[in-house]
Amino acid sequence: MDAIVLRNVSKEFRKKTIRREYTTLKSELVQFLKRRQSRAAPMAVTSALRDVSLTVPRGRTVGLVGRNGSGKSTLLKLVTGIYRPTKGTVEVNGRISALLELGAGFHPDFSGRENITVNGIILGMSRREIRERMEEIIAFSELGDFVDEPVRTYSSGMYARLAFSVATHVDPDLLIIDEILSVGDEHFSRKSTAKMEEFRRAGKTILLVTHDLASLESHCDEAAWLDAGTLKAYGDPAFVVSEYRKAVAESEVHAETTPGHPPVVAVHPTGRQPRSGAPAEVGRRWGTFEAEVTSVRLQGPGGEERTVFDAEDSLEARLHVDADASLAHLSIEVSLVSADGTLLWRSIQPMPSATHASATLTLERVGLADGNYRLDVAVFAEEGRVCCDFQKGLHGFAVRSSGSSPGLVRIPHAWTVEPPPPSEAQAS
Amino acid sequence: MIRNLRELWQYRALLWNLTQRELKARYRGSALGFLWTFLNPLLLMAVYGLVFGVIQRNQIQHYTYFLFVGLLPWLWFSSSVGAGASTISDRRDLLTKVRFPAQVLPATVVLTNLVNYLLSLPLMIALGGIAGIWPSWHVVMFPVVLFVQLVFTLGVSFLVSSLNVAFRDLQQIVTNFLTLWFFVTPILYRPDDVPATFRRAFLIVNPMSVIITSYQGIFYEHRLPHWRALTVVTLASFLLLWLASRVFEQRREEFAELV
Repeated sequence: MDAIVLRNVSKEFRKKTIRREYTTLKSELVQFLKRRQSRAAPMAVTSALRDVSLTVPRGRTVGLVGRNGSGKSTLLKLVTGIYRPTKGTVEVNGRISALLELGAGFHPDFSGRENITVNGIILGMSRREIRERMEEIIAFSELGDFVDEPVRTYSSGMYARLAFSVATHVDPDLLIIDEILSVGDEHFSRKSTAKMEEFRRAGKTILLVTHDLASLESHCDEAAWLDAGTLKAYGDPAFVVSEYRKAVAESEVHAETTPGHPPVVAVHPTGRQPRSGAPAEVGRRWGTFEAEVTSVRLQGPGGEERTVFDAEDSLEARLHVDADASLAHLSIEVSLVSADGTLLWRSIQPMPSATHASATLTLERVGLADGNYRLDVAVFAEEGRVCCDFQKGLHGFAVRSSGSSPGLVRIPHAWTVEPPPPSEAQAS
Repeated sequence: MIRNLRELWQYRALLWNLTQRELKARYRGSALGFLWTFLNPLLLMAVYGLVFGVIQRNQIQHYTYFLFVGLLPWLWFSSSVGAGASTISDRRDLLTKVRFPAQVLPATVVLTNLVNYLLSLPLMIALGGIAGIWPSWHVVMFPVVLFVQLVFTLGVSFLVSSLNVAFRDLQQIVTNFLTLWFFVTPILYRPDDVPATFRRAFLIVNPMSVIITSYQGIFYEHRLPHWRALTVVTLASFLLLWLASRVFEQRREEFAELV
């Protein structure tokens, strides 16, 4: 039997404010009367989940990824039964323990012990179960004598530890966790990971939301990626995670190369404006525009246009330049700039004087660490003395590699490990 | 209604624990602690006793005792409804984070105040003893009246607490309405003091006046409650609880989204 079955689930929320006012008796009454008159009063609605179908077989650990506001928490709340779907059905088989928030119902003035009882009951344990497991819960939380002190005197780590240990001692068939495993110090987080692994081995179903993609890959059997309320991908964690990272990188590059503020128009003494691409703007695009870079196209190894590369991929940048026939001594300049603005590398290439020309810059191997990069391009005339078109931050790409390593660059390298000489091997 | 109450029964451990916690939390940290359970109604009684017994020179015999008999159950009712109004809308932490039958929350408030009432009964009896009034055999009817009031109070609490989630104005309205309700219920005066022309209407439309006069009958006048009026109120209370449960059921889906 499947632990969780979602069939075409949609969830909509009524917007809580009407013209930035809270609904009150008056506004509801007005609304009611209006509806009487005009029959169909459109209600402002936000769609949190759209037609999501998902089946989680028993005993599987499923990780949910997605950006903030993509509907992950809503999905968990639907499975838990806190929300009901607007459309579709949610079927859950087995006892659920949901860790949507640690310490639901904790009362600051009561001791840890007293709070364990109430929190445990809220989470679905019987009083007998709580009595039986009380010492175990206290031991796991490592609170020691503090368990008899009021909860308000706890540090946030202690609070989280207590809450986590109650929740994991509920003994559910289905554990639902919303980004809270990162609580506590290194030691406790290892302990909670071990607890999760214990759940997995015991054949429990786990559904968790996490932003720690590395742990998701290592601890989950399956992963689901939600984007703007729709299920984008479901299946092997490595695949889903790489798809998700690619999408995030693409949108970041897009966000960085699109102006977020109203442009300040730059007008050069020549009074010319670019004929193609972005308009002239202070700090983004400037020059005489007697010559201009009309297009920049980034290609992967197969010649396809891309914005996300692996460090091992090759990268080709194809540039087209239009120039006035009168111009002489043209040159193209390409700068590679990291996200924090550090110039990593610059290359200048002379060009023939022609009204239309194209140039291709080839990097055999990207060789950069994971991150977002800017590609600033410019065309100069008169041996670099006249800036015709400088485009800053208008083009960019991201690097996302499998198996990242720390540092700025990925230098091509090889390791050779020599076996010990035979005499030493015998000695040991 | 059956489902509503059955769920309450299923979660009785939680209900009881939350009630215990409320009772303990109420006076935790204060120097007099649990004594406030007795001090609060006593002080309130002293105020009304001063105004209506000493200043207004009320003709009722053993006025302070009479006052106490009616005031204590009224406090149970008004605190339950007054605090109950916001009990769901204030518990965002619970409703949006755990699956949890929401009716436990208003029920906890009602139960907490019931326990408070029961705890102050010995004080009331002691006060009667000072005045020379001891409970008679009529107290056999006390559990019945108590039960009717429980049903009625639960009904009002469910209704008010579930509606307040969407209409936050309600809790303000309720607070003010309870003041009016207090003065139109024969607690400070006897029903006979009400002008005869609208005495009947007065008693019929207000279930609380029937309930309060029943307590006064049992403890003060040593007579049985007016059985016909009490039967009507019992039926009305059950009807209200049924209606309130339906409203509650219909609205509970929106609780998690609106709190």
